[in-house]
Amino acid sequence: MADRAKFISEVTSSLGRTEILSPEADSATAGFDDASTAKANAEKAMADASERSRELADQMADAAATAGWKVHRAESHSDAADLIKSICEDKDAKSVLRSTHEVLDQISVDAAVANSGATLGTTDHSGENTRELVDQSKADAFTADIGITGVDYAIAETGTVVLHPRSGLSRLVSLAPPTHIAVLRPGEVLDSLDELFAMERNDFMSGNLAGSMNLISGPSKTADIEGTTVTGIHGPLEVHLIVLGKG
Amino acid sequence: MKPLTVNFRSKAALTLADAQIQQSIEHVYTGFFKGRLTAAGDTPEWEHLRTKGKAIKDHTIAHLDYYLNMLADNVEKNGGSVFFADDANEARKHIIDLAHEREIKTVIKSKSMVSEEMGLAEAMTDEGFETVETDLGEYIIQLANETPYHLIAPAVHKSRADVAKLLDDDYKDGDRVPDATELTMMARKKLRGVFERADMSVTGVNFAVAESGSIALVTNEGNGRMSTTVPRVHVAVMGMEKIVPSIQDLSTMLRILIRSATGQRISTYVTMVNEARKADEEEGPEEFHLVIMNNGRQKLLEDPQMRESLNCIRCGACLNACPVYRKVGGHAYGWVYPGPIGAIVSPVLTGLKDASNLPSASSLCGACHDACPVKINIPRMLLELRYRTAEGSADKDERTSSAKERGIWKMWRIGMMGRKRFDMGARLAGLALRPLSRGGWLKKAPPPISGWTSSRDFPSISSSSLKSKLSKRAGRSK
Repeated sequence: MADRAKFISEVTSSLGRTEILSPEADSATAGFDDASTAKANAEKAMADASERSRELADQMADAAATAGWKVHRAESHSDAADLIKSICEDKDAKSVLRSTHEVLDQISVDAAVANSGATLGTTDHSGENTRELVDQSKADAFTADIGITGVDYAIAETGTVVLHPRSGLSRLVSLAPPTHIAVLRPGEVLDSLDELFAMERNDFMSGNLAGSMNLISGPSKTADIEGTTVTGIHGPLEVHLIVLGKG
Repeated sequence: MKPLTVNFRSKAALTLADAQIQQSIEHVYTGFFKGRLTAAGDTPEWEHLRTKGKAIKDHTIAHLDYYLNMLADNVEKNGGSVFFADDANEARKHIIDLAHEREIKTVIKSKSMVSEEMGLAEAMTDEGFETVETDLGEYIIQLANETPYHLIAPAVHKSRADVAKLLDDDYKDGDRVPDATELTMMARKKLRGVFERADMSVTGVNFAVAESGSIALVTNEGNGRMSTTVPRVHVAVMGMEKIVPSIQDLSTMLRILIRSATGQRISTYVTMVNEARKADEEEGPEEFHLVIMNNGRQKLLEDPQMRESLNCIRCGACLNACPVYRKVGGHAYGWVYPGPIGAIVSPVLTGLKDASNLPSASSLCGACHDACPVKINIPRMLLELRYRTAEGSADKDERTSSAKERGIWKMWRIGMMGRKRFDMGARLAGLALRPLSRGGWLKKAPPPISGWTSSRDFPSISSSSLKSKLSKRAGRSK
């Protein structure tokens, strides 16, 4: 078995050195900002997201449509609830799963889903996840017809919804059901990938990095058969983005 | 995977003769190629991003030992395990042992060229594990028992009818050919069942972040997300060069990778994994293992002329841009990495002597260099390898030129070094070839020109030189 010290010392000697040389700061290591710079960058990204919230929501709506999201604008919370009810009815959904995102309570998603006739579940086991409960979460997600989430961030550059899986937000709720609905509030849209990774970097420097992160930009797709793009191979066939606020 | 790089010519000829394959690969490569140009054109800071991407990779490779240490420390700090594998055998054995120890039944693989180097899927199947490729293209290839055709479009050479036969046991020649959507839905159904029962996954790594011990995975299909979510054990495999220093570097690298690969602004999914399932998370793997593999990369690292090839981020842009690759296809290159990047990496990793045709499979037009998101100077390295096959060290098993060939070129060199010698040589060559010449052209010449005349005519050598013609003309006009 290769051992780490030997493996790395061979790399060192291949580089023509006898010991590991710490890199000096250069243009490529600009990513190693210290904690206070990382914090300032993240604060700037958030301030930008809030000051330009209308503009960025519009850009997000356009970019998301390009990426394959079915984009809906909802002026009021009840408009958003109506949209969700009608998607559930269209899909003839029997079983719907939701995350614990605050926005879903604000728009009273539970009532909307109930009015459509579907049953609503969450994958929230309040922090007591045994292997049995994990298996239950998976089974629920694989049989659900629709998954509903908020967003942790969105990215205007790419039409991306960002989710950090955690207690109350399962990894599968946005992946396993054939339809995913994401509800977006103004102020949650970042300008570009730069701002997203500035936020992540700050989370990392302050010891708050999430266990994982998913960037979602449209429905699951493939072009592996004769180069023809087909949506819905492993993930959702259809994804809806509901943008709250005036369009 | 066993290198078959020595068969370049015969494999290339097979693809060139197959009209169906020619049509489908042309369609897909043109799509990717145009997609990349459009995406680059729509990105105002494109050249700046390439320069930055190159700087990040140059820096990382120059300090690879430092960043490998940092990465391993941080993966372990996050509760993961790290295994350093000198070669593909060690890596494969480690993963198989892991699976046995944990009594794994079903392994799902998402696309990873490094696992192709290990021949992992085949080996795990032989060990009795149900091992399923989950990228649709790779799945098709696995059912067909072949190797991938393209870095990001592995089944590009398969027609819908081919795929129908592989997915549906009842499909017969002459049945209606299902469309791409129907076929994709058939595959979705089959693979869903596999995902639900999978207890281990093996994924590749697009970027590993040294400072945080994270890995980033880029997919369009969602199999990468399934693989990092459903099974209780997640094993990620990477070549030792696939590191970036900081989380912040991901925004640059993801932008150039995805635009160069498919022309998208972003892939449908980008997944960043920092650790296995947190205690309060609803699902996710219980264990995270990272396998970092050398497998000959050290030879690229210690070779100043070839080191730059370790900057490669495996986007496939050089393949799509290459006029040779677009005709001869992926299988001709005989190992995991086809196309221009394969033509420089494979000879070093698998031995130049058996892969000596690969550096010559290029017109040196430079399209690969223009296309590369991290500006790897592939033509320079192709020339370097050609030089080594001609004049390199025989001890290092580089040189493939025969003593006769070197002798001929030595004579040529001597002949070219004096006016009189040159005139004499040209006259002799002209005289020697004259009996074979018809109407100023040679249809079939003896070696060494036979290689040329096997596919096109060779102009016969004039009996008088340009210089003598010019002096005659000057004489007449006086």
